[in-house]
Amino acid sequence: MTHLDDELLAELALDARTPDPGAADHLRLCDRCRESLAQLQEVAQVRAELPRLELPPAHVWDQIRSEVGLSTPVGEALDHARTRSRGLTRRSLALAASVAAVLGLGAGVAGTLLLTDRDRAPSNTVEAVIRLEPLAGKTGDGNADLIRSPAGNELKVAASGLATTPGFYEVWLINVDGKRMVSLGVLNPRSGGTFQIPTEMTAEGYRIVDVSLEPNDGNPEHSHDSIIRGTLPS
Amino acid sequence: MTSAEADAPSPADIAKGFADGDEQSLADAYARWSGLVFTLALRSLQDRPDAEDVTQQVFVSAWRGRATFDPANGSLGAWLTGITRHRIADRLAARSRDQRNSSAAIGLVDAGSPPAHVDDHTVDRVVLADELARLEDPRRTILRLAFYEDQTYPQIAETLDLPLGTVKSHVRRGLIQLRDRLKEVQG
Repeated sequence: MTHLDDELLAELALDARTPDPGAADHLRLCDRCRESLAQLQEVAQVRAELPRLELPPAHVWDQIRSEVGLSTPVGEALDHARTRSRGLTRRSLALAASVAAVLGLGAGVAGTLLLTDRDRAPSNTVEAVIRLEPLAGKTGDGNADLIRSPAGNELKVAASGLATTPGFYEVWLINVDGKRMVSLGVLNPRSGGTFQIPTEMTAEGYRIVDVSLEPNDGNPEHSHDSIIRGTLPS
Repeated sequence: MTSAEADAPSPADIAKGFADGDEQSLADAYARWSGLVFTLALRSLQDRPDAEDVTQQVFVSAWRGRATFDPANGSLGAWLTGITRHRIADRLAARSRDQRNSSAAIGLVDAGSPPAHVDDHTVDRVVLADELARLEDPRRTILRLAFYEDQTYPQIAETLDLPLGTVKSHVRRGLIQLRDRLKEVQG
């Protein structure tokens, strides 16, 4: 018996669509597909009720470390761990200007968020505006505004002249230490985007704003195909 | 850090290091799961200092009790989630004891205690939020817009300048990924 494709089941779960007669017949007879659909429906049903993930404040880690008596220096262990968390890349990436040679780059720090108009606080102050210049052999340019708001910092990125091409554009904040980077999310090359960034990030050295062209390959790492870039003031 | 270093530790790598008592793996585990633990505690207890205490207790007791963790017998994420549930339940029970004592002290009839257990639905939602934050882009951004912002597929396609079919396909595959991760954590 050929089971129903997971993507079809996901579509049924998401759109609450009535299956066509063939699929309906199969679902009546097949426990496995019915079970699979029920699980997907369970996830689909709570999708509007997911909480925003929050990270504990820094002192929690300090207390844990001192309570268990870790011999590794505090900051180092965690900083190292953070840069090795999700989406880490260990490939080398040649950075222009401020970072000459880079050995390994880590992407981590969950919790950045693409903002929509609804989320934006009205009382924002623009802390910095920088130009994003094309890298050698690339076309396009843009700007990035660092905005301080009561809810935290935001980075507003606008681009122009980026080529229309397969794949998608992604905004990254690269640390000037050349060792760490975080992905802020997908950029619409025409309308731009605004991304929430943790308040302490720029102070920690995440100041290089980088827009890369990413292939649709499912690889979360930086493609090494940077198109435009600029550095926020310290 | 050098380019010779291995890729990011997978949850399985962290779990193995943890069981072996490798200190870096405690930091790795904290970096990977502290958001999950803290958010779960915060949602259940509705109190920030209590949630911070619970987060601290979970990682301290997990580290001290690492000999009882068997990587062959389930994931570290699921094990930490289990410890978190116990710690939250302890905190809720202590709260209701305090409440009973103070009611008794002032001569009030015990009006019944709130349940001292962690709601499964809360656990599932926090686990899913944690997994969503770990999806690769553009899937992560697409699912955020679909789930948190309640945008329609055509709106997302416009926001991100991606083809509509690509958006739909990412939402479907993302849902499957989330389901798979939920099954793993639920064991």
